[in-house]
Amino acid sequence: MNRVLRSQFVKTIFIRLLSSLLTLFLLVSFLFFIIRLSPGDPTDKYVSAKLGSELSERIAEKFSLNQPVADQYFAFVSNIFKGDLGVSYNYRLSVFEVIWEYFSFTLIFASISFIIQISLSILLAIRVVRKQNKRIEQISTNLSLFVYSIPAFVLGVTLIYIFSVHLNLLPISGLKSLDHDELSFFPRIFDQLYHLILPLITLSVGGVALFYKYIKESMDEIKNHTFVANLRATGLDENLILRKHILPNAIRPLISVAGVELGIILGGTLITEVIFSLPGMGRLAIDSILSRDYPLVIGCVFTAGTVMIFANFLADLAKLKIDKRMIKGILN
Amino acid sequence: MNKKNINLLLLFFLSLLIIACDSKQSTTNNRIVIGISADVQTFSSLFAFSYEESAIADLLYPGLLDFRWNSERGELDPYPMIVQSWRWSEDSSYIKFYLRDDIFWSDGIKLTSEDVVFSYDVFSDPDVQSRLLGTFNQLYSDSDGHIDIEKAFKVISPNEFEIHFVENSVADLVKLSIPIIPEHIYSEISRDQIANSEINFNPVSSGPFKLKKWNRNQTITLEADSNSFLFTSGQAAELIFKVVPDYTSRILQLRKGDIDFVELVKVEDIEDLKAEDKLSVISIVGREYDYIGWNNIDPESFSQGKIIPNKFFGSNNVRKALTMSIDRKAIHNEYLLGQGELAVSPVSRIFKLAFNMEVKPYEYDPEEAKKLLAQDGWKDEDRNGILEKGNEEFKFKMYYPVGNPLREYASVVIKNNLKSVGIEVSIEKMELGTFIDNLYDRKLNSWMAAWGVPIPLELKPFWYSDPNIGMLNFACYGNSEVDKILNQLNKRINNERKNELVKQFQVIIHQDEPVSFLYWTPNIIAYNKRIKNLNITPYGVLVHCWEWTLNE
Repeated sequence: MNRVLRSQFVKTIFIRLLSSLLTLFLLVSFLFFIIRLSPGDPTDKYVSAKLGSELSERIAEKFSLNQPVADQYFAFVSNIFKGDLGVSYNYRLSVFEVIWEYFSFTLIFASISFIIQISLSILLAIRVVRKQNKRIEQISTNLSLFVYSIPAFVLGVTLIYIFSVHLNLLPISGLKSLDHDELSFFPRIFDQLYHLILPLITLSVGGVALFYKYIKESMDEIKNHTFVANLRATGLDENLILRKHILPNAIRPLISVAGVELGIILGGTLITEVIFSLPGMGRLAIDSILSRDYPLVIGCVFTAGTVMIFANFLADLAKLKIDKRMIKGILN
Repeated sequence: MNKKNINLLLLFFLSLLIIACDSKQSTTNNRIVIGISADVQTFSSLFAFSYEESAIADLLYPGLLDFRWNSERGELDPYPMIVQSWRWSEDSSYIKFYLRDDIFWSDGIKLTSEDVVFSYDVFSDPDVQSRLLGTFNQLYSDSDGHIDIEKAFKVISPNEFEIHFVENSVADLVKLSIPIIPEHIYSEISRDQIANSEINFNPVSSGPFKLKKWNRNQTITLEADSNSFLFTSGQAAELIFKVVPDYTSRILQLRKGDIDFVELVKVEDIEDLKAEDKLSVISIVGREYDYIGWNNIDPESFSQGKIIPNKFFGSNNVRKALTMSIDRKAIHNEYLLGQGELAVSPVSRIFKLAFNMEVKPYEYDPEEAKKLLAQDGWKDEDRNGILEKGNEEFKFKMYYPVGNPLREYASVVIKNNLKSVGIEVSIEKMELGTFIDNLYDRKLNSWMAAWGVPIPLELKPFWYSDPNIGMLNFACYGNSEVDKILNQLNKRINNERKNELVKQFQVIIHQDEPVSFLYWTPNIIAYNKRIKNLNITPYGVLVHCWEWTLNE
């Protein structure tokens, strides 16, 4: 990359980061008004039937809910600039503290699943393309479509039924066994992996099928390009052509989809979390919405928005790493 | 895949299997695992708003007195808890309590009268905003509900104190017996900061169990506190609350043996669970009933400060006819599979001495319903299948909150039943928060919901005509006779008179039928037979669970 191109690249990335922050800010602002204008009152659970209206007002005052919405918004904006998303009404802890507790699990869980989705789909696609067997290709394409269309709750419950109830091999739910804390280091790691097998399969299967289809189609298309025929004519090994030339070109469309997928799963994987009782962002977000814990709802959306922007940004960087010609595309 | 990879994979699965076998031993230990649907957000008794929170907080912070359900009389009987005895003054204006001498907090400090007085002060302090704020009207308090400690308490010694009541108030021991919190811990924290304090997550307790560890959204482990005055050698060493939000998963874990105890089992699962050798199933009737609310007054006029009878539901003849038009027995038999029972009034059968056996549910009788409607002027004169009175057709919307399959099923039956007598209902689902807001604002004409009945029985907030007192009287029902009874119930009267008044109340309510009472829904509990000595009553499921023992 020459110096001019590099400085333009840095400038564009900077502008892009700024626009991402603005998007995020607009998103949480919009959400702020929507949830405050929606019916329902977060103080409901604190208000007993025997409580007089004066006491109810004092509770609302404690949550700053008796101020005009505009005043609440300005306080909210100034707090955001100070890096403070407020205190959760339910947890009575800072929103960042609550979110970190749940996000740390989601980050690990979603990352492992994402790695499984990408690596397994690429491996499968390479295998199938290498075989060059029409029948296998057709079966694998149909199978990927079928697997992709299975809802997560059906897959999760089916897996539990087979592996936990009938075969009694894997745990039904939870992140660790009840004796986890009494285990030494390595058994602890294994214990958590053992608990994560079914959730990871449930979360990853759809992604594997989706990515597989993308890569497979893209590889089929690139396989027929003239530059591949030229490479073959030079006598290059077929495996080498596949790994060094077809795959890098075929992976480009996958990266954009993968960026979006990574953002989604980092934002929370509600169904998998509920079925397997996992402490992730999806459950936290839904619980906070249902209990009208406004600061926490905004915190969850803020986190989901940030990871979505970050994941897409990462996807762009990955595309760049694979194909330098794309710098122009990104700059545009 | 080469041989090396296959070997590695096999090794990995072998390790997992070893762990699997190891973890299966957990349920054979001296612990009870209780499946719950949601995690707690605090262990503080001050802010234990949810069912799970209060069940756990009650185990950590015992109250002054212990209450046990007397199933013969349908009442609570008081027993000593942290006090060993108490004595009423002759004029019932105060009670003198004698604390036990052997109660220590889990940090080793002794529990004294000062802790008791301090607890009342904190629970009633508006700066703290505890769950009991505003409920101490039997004690001398400020206008904001804060107890006047000087007037209400007299500490005689570390083990003796008196509680003085407001003149002519009704001293209710159940309301009086609040959980006691440690003064030496809470006095260090500013009152308005207690809610955000670390102590809510690391409780210093005095109950039969103390907190061992909390894995958020996973498990809460309580361990037996051998220094507690309630500790018995037979009690379980650990009580684990396992958070499993998915109902199916909870039931599967119960069947597999990973969980020992589950509440709110669905009726359709009863037979399958009963068929399991290791499980027992109990159905408790009686603290929650479903009903259809009919707004007795016009919602629009109410919003303008006027009270005008509702054009559809203002007459008790019409409301009775509506109840008679609905085949409640069919819903009860088909959806609840006969569990629970039909409701006649808001007084449950569990209150044996107060329950009026002579008040019988209205039978499903569409013909009689049509007659009652005709008496009130509702007739289908234009023969279009819908009743009308003047220019008004009998058409309305009925709302219910989303997420309850029983109400979803019942709404279809009700719609069809009412159609057959010439009433057209359109059913609308509403988000719970919005639904509750609309109920408080008395905006709905008709709705389907449920009420839980408190123990001891309390009727005034639900049926008193003044909306400032009857804050939960969403149907805006008003009857001066009923108001008179409810006022009398709040006076110092003996239990016999009280029961008599409650029986009279049921007769009037049955005549007026302010809402259509549908059915009492059961709480079905399934548990592993290795748990012994359970005493499950309508008062509570987990109360006294330190008395549960385990089979070897």
